[in-house]
Amino acid sequence: MVKQWQNWLDFTLALTSREIKGRYKHAALGFLWIVANPLLQMLVIGLVFQFIPGFRTENYFLYLFLGLLPWSFFTTSFSKATPLFVYERYLIKKAAFPRESLVISLILSNLLHLSIGLLLVLPFTGFSVNAVLLAAAVSWLFFFTAGISLLFSSLNVKFRDVDFFTKALLPLWFYTTPIIYSPEILPHQLQQLLVLNPMTLIIQLFRAAFGVPETFSFGQSLLIPLSLTLVVVVLGLLVFKKEEQYFDDWM
Amino acid sequence: MKKKSVSQSTNRQAAIQFQNVAKSYTLKHQKPTLVGTLFGLESRERFQALRGISLTISQGEKVGIIGPNGSGKTTLLKIAAGIATPDSGKVVVKGKVVSLIELEAGFHPELTGEENIFLNGLIIGMAKEEIEQNFTQIVQFSGLKKFIDSPLYTYSSGMSLRLGFSIAVHSNPDILLLDEAIAVGDQEFREKSLKKINSFFKQGKTIVSVSHWLDYLKNNCTRIIWLEQGKVVEDGGIEVIELYKKDSEKA
Repeated sequence: MVKQWQNWLDFTLALTSREIKGRYKHAALGFLWIVANPLLQMLVIGLVFQFIPGFRTENYFLYLFLGLLPWSFFTTSFSKATPLFVYERYLIKKAAFPRESLVISLILSNLLHLSIGLLLVLPFTGFSVNAVLLAAAVSWLFFFTAGISLLFSSLNVKFRDVDFFTKALLPLWFYTTPIIYSPEILPHQLQQLLVLNPMTLIIQLFRAAFGVPETFSFGQSLLIPLSLTLVVVVLGLLVFKKEEQYFDDWM
Repeated sequence: MKKKSVSQSTNRQAAIQFQNVAKSYTLKHQKPTLVGTLFGLESRERFQALRGISLTISQGEKVGIIGPNGSGKTTLLKIAAGIATPDSGKVVVKGKVVSLIELEAGFHPELTGEENIFLNGLIIGMAKEEIEQNFTQIVQFSGLKKFIDSPLYTYSSGMSLRLGFSIAVHSNPDILLLDEAIAVGDQEFREKSLKKINSFFKQGKTIVSVSHWLDYLKNNCTRIIWLEQGKVVEDGGIEVIELYKKDSEKA
């Protein structure tokens, strides 16, 4: 049993390092590219939106960066994972290995990027961070991303248009998550709706971990997003378990 | 798939056991989509690849599977390898299966030969320590020592096939599945490969080969299974090959 777990982990980590090495091996400045994207986004969005009344919060650039970092983790993982099984069809048709490792390793490789980005944040908060909140935020983000990625990637094998759906959904999702704005600027009823989006709470948690001013209270509203996350994870696992046996048939 | 390890085997140590196994595929004329399914535009045509196959292959048997294209040979191997799942019936496979269909599975062009040995080894089900132990032999057998630090995109197709073959034969399988391409590479490597496969024959491993190369099967198998339209036509000694030849000539 332990041995099996060890083999599974070795395999998943080998795929993770394939993902990371394959991506950066020959890129000049290699790992710099990892954080370049959220950093540039922060600069551009920050420069423009700080002049729009209502958007600017205290420490707006830090506020933005702590929203963009988890969001870019989520969006790259989810959008790359959805068509992943189809892209790896040559592997799936040829060998019987744990299929979920493909998705998990993709997410793990993005977790490295997220960690590097979080390290960059530290100097700007005077190296103060609430480790417990941060660990909670990262794990929640990881499980939610893994669950939804497994669900959509499994469905995409049988229904190839699921990938289009994901790609159309993500930009809309970006604007319904308080990344570039603070929930406070919304009317009360809309603020309530934001709770239905687990990403809202996850990002708020990241901000809270670094002590970035946040007046949005999420104390009592955790129950809904947490149960939604659980539903997504369980559904993802169930659909994956059912469909993975027949992946080869649809390739 | 109902797969379980048998410890209380009643019959003489069965390696592969099929009980009334059936497998069908949906015929697809275009990419399957969710929109298509909802509007009932998807094809419901089924292709019956296997129709109630029952057979038992004992440990150490050397079985050749023959039959025209589309008779279900590859589906049979895929089910035995755990890549595909049957619609109904029971499959029991005892021991570690490695198939030489998996050459090059998961090779990444940007990674070096060495990194690819580990990746491919894990994909075909070797443990990390196992790969470490066999590493020198794998490199030696492939004859690619000089190139093992170079990225795989610098390899010719023959070279990467040689590497793949070399990993597969050093993975210490209990059951070996061979598809058409038994021999890869140049004349010298081909001879080396056949010698290696013959040594498996001598070590008493269970070997199932699918091939149209009837003379090869005649020399290396002790049992021949003749499939046609997903059913077993004949199952017996190598004399089945003569029956099959006669039948093909008639047609």
